[in-house]
Amino acid sequence: MNYDEAKAISRCQQGDQDALKEIFDQYQKKVYGIAYGVVRHREEALDIVQEVFIKLFRSIKNFKGKSHFYTYLYRMTMNTAIDHTRKMKRQPPPNREEDGEFQISANPEERPDRVLAHKELEEKVKWAMNQLSPDQKAALVFREVEGLSYQEIAEAMGCSIGTVMSRLHYGRKRVQELLRDYVLGER
Amino acid sequence: MKKECSSVSKLLEKYFDQEVTHAERSLVEGHLPDCPSCRDVLRSMERLRNFIRTPVEEAVEKEDLPWVWQKIERNIQLEEKRPWWEPVREWLDITPVLKKKVLIPVAVAAVVLILIMAPFLFEKTSSYPDPSVVEYVESETYNVMVYELETPQVTVIWLFEGPEQELSTS
Repeated sequence: MNYDEAKAISRCQQGDQDALKEIFDQYQKKVYGIAYGVVRHREEALDIVQEVFIKLFRSIKNFKGKSHFYTYLYRMTMNTAIDHTRKMKRQPPPNREEDGEFQISANPEERPDRVLAHKELEEKVKWAMNQLSPDQKAALVFREVEGLSYQEIAEAMGCSIGTVMSRLHYGRKRVQELLRDYVLGER
Repeated sequence: MKKECSSVSKLLEKYFDQEVTHAERSLVEGHLPDCPSCRDVLRSMERLRNFIRTPVEEAVEKEDLPWVWQKIERNIQLEEKRPWWEPVREWLDITPVLKKKVLIPVAVAAVVLILIMAPFLFEKTSSYPDPSVVEYVESETYNVMVYELETPQVTVIWLFEGPEQELSTS
């Protein structure tokens, strides 16, 4: 079935849940990707996906079509993910052995030392990303994960292209410094 | 670093993000084969991109999201069934505030402070403070009493000629 975005949005604005389902099918992976890019944790990213689509259903009436729908949705996703990160900072860290984050792959071909090194790198990247300001982190996720152009990022973040370039530049510089050994290929 | 590096290095990030003009692209691509330092900068950016992007792509790839829709649908239906006053009640609900641990010591400190300050806050103060008698002299003709008020500072001398007559000077 062809997806007609304008019609789906219009129907959703009138409270049609089937229309929301069409939008969900279209954007679920993108929204999950942005959420995961920010929190880098499966369960938290899934919670954010739920929250975003519930929020979207409530607030889609406010979408006037002045910007692209996807930048509107990506902005909502980013704000929800950043809020979620702030809330989680105030709470004690979850028990990681319980939530399965360190489960080793069942694939027998994957050597345990490589799996551990991979996990260590992921944890390092997560830590380094968390050292950035929310704006730098958002710009980096939009660019590096979603591959958005400067123009699209500016629209999603409600700022100028110059600001996007500055956030990307300083964000990259900071993460490169924090992951120096990995980025320079010394590890 | 070569002489033209300084002008090209400013373009490297834009080049990496595919945001350069045609002319800028030609400039960078003409420079790269002879400049290992600029190639290293690009390689570092590429490596960083992979560190950030690859785990996300893997997570998206293996995630089965349709079940999330069922939870969204259920939540929306539950919201629609809620009575109109429920959001107002939630908004007024102070329990989340009380759950914040930082508020508990603040509340305890406030109560203790009020208890300490209460005697001072609710102390009755007369607008005419009690006079303190400085001297009292009795004689056959007159009785004299001298007393002072602190605020305003006044000294009053009473002469008693008898129970019926009283004179005062100040």
